[in-house]
Amino acid sequence: MNIPDDLLYTQDHEWGRIEDGTLRVGITDYAATELGDIVFVEFVEKGSHVAKGEAFGTIESVKAVSEVYAPASGTVTQINEPLADTPELLNQDCYGDAWMVVIEMDDPSEVKDLMDAPAYEEFLAQEAK
Amino acid sequence: MRTVLYDEHVRLGAKIVDFHGWEMPVWYSGIKDEHMATRTAAGLFDASHMGELFVSGQDCASFLDRILTRQIAPMKPGKVLYTFFLNDKGGIIDDLTVYCITPGIRYMLCVNASNTENDLAWIRSQNQENSIIEDRSPGTALLALQGPDSARILGDCLKFDLDSLRYFTFAELESSGYGRLLISKTGYTGAGGVEIFLQADHAPRLWRCLIDAGAVPCGLGARDTLRLEMGYPLHGNDIDEGTTPLEAHLDFAVDMDKPHFIGREALAEQLHKGLGRRLSGVELLDKGVPRQGFLCLKDDEQVGVITSGSISPVLGRGIALAYLDSSFQYGEEIAVEVRSKQLRAVVKKPPFVSGTLSK
Repeated sequence: MNIPDDLLYTQDHEWGRIEDGTLRVGITDYAATELGDIVFVEFVEKGSHVAKGEAFGTIESVKAVSEVYAPASGTVTQINEPLADTPELLNQDCYGDAWMVVIEMDDPSEVKDLMDAPAYEEFLAQEAK
Repeated sequence: MRTVLYDEHVRLGAKIVDFHGWEMPVWYSGIKDEHMATRTAAGLFDASHMGELFVSGQDCASFLDRILTRQIAPMKPGKVLYTFFLNDKGGIIDDLTVYCITPGIRYMLCVNASNTENDLAWIRSQNQENSIIEDRSPGTALLALQGPDSARILGDCLKFDLDSLRYFTFAELESSGYGRLLISKTGYTGAGGVEIFLQADHAPRLWRCLIDAGAVPCGLGARDTLRLEMGYPLHGNDIDEGTTPLEAHLDFAVDMDKPHFIGREALAEQLHKGLGRRLSGVELLDKGVPRQGFLCLKDDEQVGVITSGSISPVLGRGIALAYLDSSFQYGEEIAVEVRSKQLRAVVKKPPFVSGTLSK
């Protein structure tokens, strides 16, 4: 399972990357693998405000529907628009080209609640039990 | 419960899910890849969880003719029919295939895994002819080899000539190494190929041989998307004891010329009164995935409900089966409500795609 060192993680299997007070958000390799072939994505509109833990979109695989949740509160300033036409990219490059949104955080200190890579790895190991 | 091939699935890295109490592979590499492999080459499915019931004895053809919707007595040896057990309201207890082994003497019924116990209880309760009813499911494996490359792979592994069989017929043969096989030119994918019944203890070796010869192992996920592209119903989703074969658009598998079978009167009445709803295909024009339970709308009024839905890997579009008011015509535009949004869709006559595709 690929868990990059430079990212932060939620218990719902989203990742976040801090970039100058903004947070780039995607789903983890674990989430993409568990869902299987992802065939549909839909996000809130650009400019929407989302609260930490609130759903900012929906992803669907052939078999399942899953919501994606904001790792921190803030305004969605960017959306990965091409993903709507190439949802399969989430299964191929979830930490790269298949990022989902960028959130301008209300309070950047909120990220302290997120897990670092070793903590997320430990969390996955506990979940598997 | 596990089939005899469970260890093979684990070794191949399958994601295992619970399917009506069976631990079954939902996919190995991914549903889309497996789906396309079946349409363009060959897919291999473990269907060993399905039930095999044998009915034999002097009056067994008249018994089966009473409890099934098609003509059993005229069946020739080696013939397969798709048919139903109905209750007296015409509701579908199960859909199944009947194999004529010895006309008038011995038949095999292949039934849905999750209905096997219920089916057995039903046919035992109806057995006034004192036919002999045996459940051979536990010792029997079923491998479905589907797709345009099936003939070559069968030749490689079993020296069997698939062209010698017509669609919906079967052959029994004594193989070297895999025991006695029943090879049936049937399937649940529309891609052509066979279903092979064999003694469970031989199944892992035949499974490996077929994969070595090029068949791609496929899970229940691809089995579902493949059957949905063809518009084949799934019992428990699209058909059940509350739906009749006429409503499900499966008239071809009901012989109303037969003077009596359980459920016939209810069907005759339904034909007389007219059908309120019919199972139809629905193809989304907008992006989205229709799912079981989603509503179909016309001018904001509910006109139907989806019983199976997914994305078609071939079309890259949402497809579904839905019970719609019988007034709807093919080609008519409707809406499907997905998470309180209305997506544009069109009523279609399945199949949604052609069963085989070139690579």
